[in-house]
Amino acid sequence: MAKFNKYIEIGQPAMITVGVEAGMAKVVQKYNNVVDVVEDTGTLAVDWFKKNAPYRIVECGIAEANASVVAAGLAAEGLTPYILGFTFATLGRAYNQIRQSILIDHFNVKIIGREMWGELGVSHNVVEGIGSLRVLPNLIVLSPADVVEAEKAFVAMADYIGPVYFRLESQNPMRIFTNDYPFELGKAYTIKDGKDATIIATGYMVTEAIKAVDLLEKEGLDVEIINMSTLKPLDEEAIINAARKTGAIVTAELGSIIGGLGEGVGALLAENAIGALVRVGIEDEFSQSARITPDRDELMMLHGLTAQDLVLSVKACISKRDGSKPRGKRV
Amino acid sequence: MAHSPELIKELEGKVDVVRNNILRIFAGSGQGHSGGTMSLTEIVTALYFHHLKLDPNNCDWPERDRVVLSKAHAAESIYAVLPEVGYVPEETLDKYYAYRSQFQGHADRWCTPGIDYSGGSLGQGLSFAAGMAMAEKIHVEMNPPDLHISPMSYPRIMMKYNPTYRVFCIVGDGECAEGQIWEAAMFAGKFKLDNLINIVDYNKFCIDGPTEYIMPLAPLDEKFRAFGWWVKEIDGHNLLEILDALDLANRLYGDGKPKCIIAHTVKGHGIPIWENVHTHIARGESMTIGLKEGREIYGEI
Repeated sequence: MAKFNKYIEIGQPAMITVGVEAGMAKVVQKYNNVVDVVEDTGTLAVDWFKKNAPYRIVECGIAEANASVVAAGLAAEGLTPYILGFTFATLGRAYNQIRQSILIDHFNVKIIGREMWGELGVSHNVVEGIGSLRVLPNLIVLSPADVVEAEKAFVAMADYIGPVYFRLESQNPMRIFTNDYPFELGKAYTIKDGKDATIIATGYMVTEAIKAVDLLEKEGLDVEIINMSTLKPLDEEAIINAARKTGAIVTAELGSIIGGLGEGVGALLAENAIGALVRVGIEDEFSQSARITPDRDELMMLHGLTAQDLVLSVKACISKRDGSKPRGKRV
Repeated sequence: MAHSPELIKELEGKVDVVRNNILRIFAGSGQGHSGGTMSLTEIVTALYFHHLKLDPNNCDWPERDRVVLSKAHAAESIYAVLPEVGYVPEETLDKYYAYRSQFQGHADRWCTPGIDYSGGSLGQGLSFAAGMAMAEKIHVEMNPPDLHISPMSYPRIMMKYNPTYRVFCIVGDGECAEGQIWEAAMFAGKFKLDNLINIVDYNKFCIDGPTEYIMPLAPLDEKFRAFGWWVKEIDGHNLLEILDALDLANRLYGDGKPKCIIAHTVKGHGIPIWENVHTHIARGESMTIGLKEGREIYGEI
């Protein structure tokens, strides 16, 4: 078993929504101006609102464009709207509304986007989420790795004044962090130190990275894992330090490799002329339906995102750095 | 409800001031959304010089009436009013389009004192206005006013004579083709936003031609009524009708219906060349002739 840093204690998989609900329960106690803007996709802290402030649930129905601009109007009058919805609709349908009405004026709107994966098929399995979010100015993008970080990130998001997009992936990641883990907005956290290569992962892919380092350890490779839970702004210092240290960077994300975390890291490495890079993510294609059980995820296998794929990518990246003949899957 | 002839006369004078200010803005930039701006002149004058609750010394007064200009390309009409209200210095009129100017190409909340909504992408203003109106209702629920009356005697909402603020939204007719306008109309009807007043600048023309050809809107009044709105149709260049409709919309507060005033206007109103060719953006020769005609009719500044 690999040796992890402080605040790390690997546990059983847990639903990330549990962390979000726990975060929201804290937020409604802390701030009295929270409004739930609902798009017929469920409500956060619904019991608390129904009991204490039913008038602060603004149900907009299946009308994402209207809901996001109504949220902007509410924020303009000092309320803090939280929108919960599916990324393909909340972000995809209302992209221009978010840009024009929320981001230009830096309104304090929090958007929690469910990124579906698996059964629901290509319509719901978003590949373009991270890429289309990262180009938007004024926006903070969060992508927590486990249930504990989800709760901490949610509270940190509430403490920050301004628009935030919170990626809520539908897989069940392993419990990674201990309860006293100090989450900091905009800072990456090194889960495990290593000298041979670095995996920079975000969201659910941190779980796969942790599985991968065990496999790599058996092959005698000591690999570092960095959890990039703030996708925008990227923690540039952490990336450059890692690249200076190991020189071999593998990025891992559940999303298209175009415009995503990999490209952000890649641009930074190229600008500083350091390090070899392999991006792990969905190639330029849409996803589809697949059955997902706790021990077998057909879709991850199809797209080449499993721990085994990460192992190959890490080895390919090390070969690239050393100039030796690459043996990995992706070159 | 009747308005005195003196008031109408005074406001007619203000309309001329506003129109001259618009011409000055256009003269400075050499280009502008002449059609939609000129059709709003009387409505904006009636709002800012008589109807709106505002504090000239404090453009962020929490109880001021909000104006959401959804058709933000017609920002010049509001820009022409702002120096008269006292929100910005008069020289700003010459700086339209300029880098770092308070008068941006489209209305911008953070650049211009007195502008409540950054627009430009059409069809979103009504949702924003509905959000602001909804926020007023939520704030009242959060901090109920002390009415010195037993809450058992009357329902609280009956006793509230005026909202903290009203939200006035100005949408164009062309942007009523946007689906989001009707999403917002449905939303406002559902939440009974009687503090929301939507003014449709129905000037009958889009960029590419007549709205009835581009995307027929009629019957616009019945459409809004079907969504649960109170609707009034007026001549958008008749100050008396505008003031009456706005007063009526205010007095009907408490009926649980959002208000829609459909103002029939003329694109490029008051300037013959812009009226005749329904100019959307005047530039070059169209602007030169329009300015010349305007100054002949309304006098040199």
